[in-house]
Amino acid sequence: MANPSAVCNGHLHHHHQKQNNLLKSGICKKNGITKGIKKNGISNGTLYKKKFVEHFEQAPMYVAVFTFLGFGVGTIFGYLRDFMRAWGLEKRNVATEREQQKDFVPLYQDFENFYTRNLYMRIRDNWNRPICSVPGPQFDLMERVTDDYNWTFRFTGRIIKNVINMGSYNYLGFAETDVNALKTVTIELQKYGTGICSTRQEMGTLDKHVELEKLVATFLGVEDAMVFGMGFATNSMNIPALVGKGCLILSDELNHTSLVLGARLSGATIRIFKHNNIQSLEKLLRDAIIYGQPRSRRAWRKIIILVEGIYSMEGSIVRLPEIVSLKKKYKAYLYLDEAHSIGAVGATGRGVVEYFGMSPDDVDVLMGTFTKSFGAAGGYIAGKKDLVDFLRTHSHSAVYATSMCPPVAEQIIRAMKCVMGLDGTTQGLQRVRQLGKNTRYFRRRLHEMGFIIYGNDDSPVVPLLLYMPGKIGAFARRMLEKNIGVVVVGFPATPITESRARFCVSAAHTREMLDTVLNALDELGDFLHLKYSRYSKSSHPELYEETRLELED
Amino acid sequence: MNVGVAHSEVNPNTRVMNSRGMWLTYALGVGMLHIVLLSIPFFSVPVAWTLTNVIHNLGMYVFLHAVKGTPFETPDQGKARLLTHWEQLDYGVQFTSSRKFFTISPIILYFLASFYTKYDTTHFILNTTSLLTVLIPKLPQLHGVRIFGINKY
Repeated sequence: MANPSAVCNGHLHHHHQKQNNLLKSGICKKNGITKGIKKNGISNGTLYKKKFVEHFEQAPMYVAVFTFLGFGVGTIFGYLRDFMRAWGLEKRNVATEREQQKDFVPLYQDFENFYTRNLYMRIRDNWNRPICSVPGPQFDLMERVTDDYNWTFRFTGRIIKNVINMGSYNYLGFAETDVNALKTVTIELQKYGTGICSTRQEMGTLDKHVELEKLVATFLGVEDAMVFGMGFATNSMNIPALVGKGCLILSDELNHTSLVLGARLSGATIRIFKHNNIQSLEKLLRDAIIYGQPRSRRAWRKIIILVEGIYSMEGSIVRLPEIVSLKKKYKAYLYLDEAHSIGAVGATGRGVVEYFGMSPDDVDVLMGTFTKSFGAAGGYIAGKKDLVDFLRTHSHSAVYATSMCPPVAEQIIRAMKCVMGLDGTTQGLQRVRQLGKNTRYFRRRLHEMGFIIYGNDDSPVVPLLLYMPGKIGAFARRMLEKNIGVVVVGFPATPITESRARFCVSAAHTREMLDTVLNALDELGDFLHLKYSRYSKSSHPELYEETRLELED
Repeated sequence: MNVGVAHSEVNPNTRVMNSRGMWLTYALGVGMLHIVLLSIPFFSVPVAWTLTNVIHNLGMYVFLHAVKGTPFETPDQGKARLLTHWEQLDYGVQFTSSRKFFTISPIILYFLASFYTKYDTTHFILNTTSLLTVLIPKLPQLHGVRIFGINKY
């Protein structure tokens, strides 16, 4: 008769029992199709235990038109100013060739500097701001003024105190100077000093590293881990050790520069799939396996998928369950970079693997950094013991780069113990919960106000879209006047129509701080006309209810 | 300030023309130019149309076929330094939708200008030469070609 796996009236009959046995433990059988605002593809409802809601709303068309007009006007004035500079009508502040070398072939092409000279210089005071305190939930800024429109800066000597910090990757609030908290770090500093002066393979492996690696392995639930001194270098030095020529790397569109650099250095073939798009990844996998290497048609030696846990510019979370099922089906390897997600998502802060309720055995290479949630420096790679043993001998970082310094290692140990609860308090768990609460509150309020926010509802990275180049400078400057420090990004770092301000919510932010920031954003949003969203929930539900009743009349 | 930190696009110039709203902005820009020219009382309608056509083609030639390289440093060691913007579009893949759009739009403008100038001889010669300067560099056979070494380096 009918297909036994048919769904009639929303009740799964015969298939129900089979589903229970087929699926691994813990997957809720009630969860059917998720009904969030989903933009990409078919919903694989049975793989996700809770709603996976991501927003990538597009602004109305007039916003894009005005953005291009803004860049156009900037370009025209750029050409005008370049012309005036070339003919001596305006002072040249850029570096110029020496008089004696006028007839030589020029070292640099003028045009490559056009954007920096004419557009970036105008709003340059919003980046590279020196801070002079710990980057906790609030920090102190050194006041900087410019007398010649951002070509040079000078410090007035005044310090702007207690600027609310919405830009630091301080997700769990471990960037702190509390003496009690840093007690063990001070002891280790006095015991070991600061420098290691050696690489891991020579004389740079301390007992602190061994302790830290065991702790990281326990934290993540894997067999073994290895730590490196620099987060960026963890990616760029280890991917070349894992893959080489004849291998295939499938990398997400929006991967971080460290992953891209590591992939390029390895010499493997790189193919890029659309951001978080499982259909695109599956098509690439199928093509790779069916057609093999170009021209020789041999099978690829290895196929490795490079993804990140949370993408720092979009705030989106990787679709891990679907990617893991794909990797198992096509027998590829998975490299997960949890730089922003370790400590920041998951019920107990163990990253996206825990967030989706999956086992860490599903991911072949777990990579992460300690710079974001643990307030330290460095990165780790964790996984099976064979993998980590291989890296201990073959990683470029182990042979040539100096290892992590002991006070930093102790900071990570104490932070990780705090998160795991091994220090005897529930402080770690409280921090993780507070971060989740702060994130949800911040995102909900921003949605209600009508801003366009990108990303997953659970990610502490919140990009707020500004679109027009003029608004980038205006937004950052006005926020500083209100004593709030934000990070803004524009073209060419982002696509041309998608300039944004990126907020990083921290567990150390109190409700009052978030409310201050939200009120400032509200005011600024009205003043700069940033509230482009057409799907925002009304913050006055009672009015909405009224109109609904009227229509039903 | 680095190119492409939020996306792994090596040369953003290749995708600018495909961005949402670019074609509309371009069409509105041409329309605005035409309205401005029409509002100058000294120009009759045929003159305004020919001027629109000529100025549009001049601008298109300068920005798409004369200026080379990118206004920002790209992480690919300058592969696109000697290429014009037209040659950089979509990394040199021919017959993409942006290329088709920017080939057709001067032709449409040419039709309109010919109609409104009532096919007068002087206007015809001006419009046709101007159209040819902007159509010939777009041919796939002229990809990377520099005639007489003009604009080579």
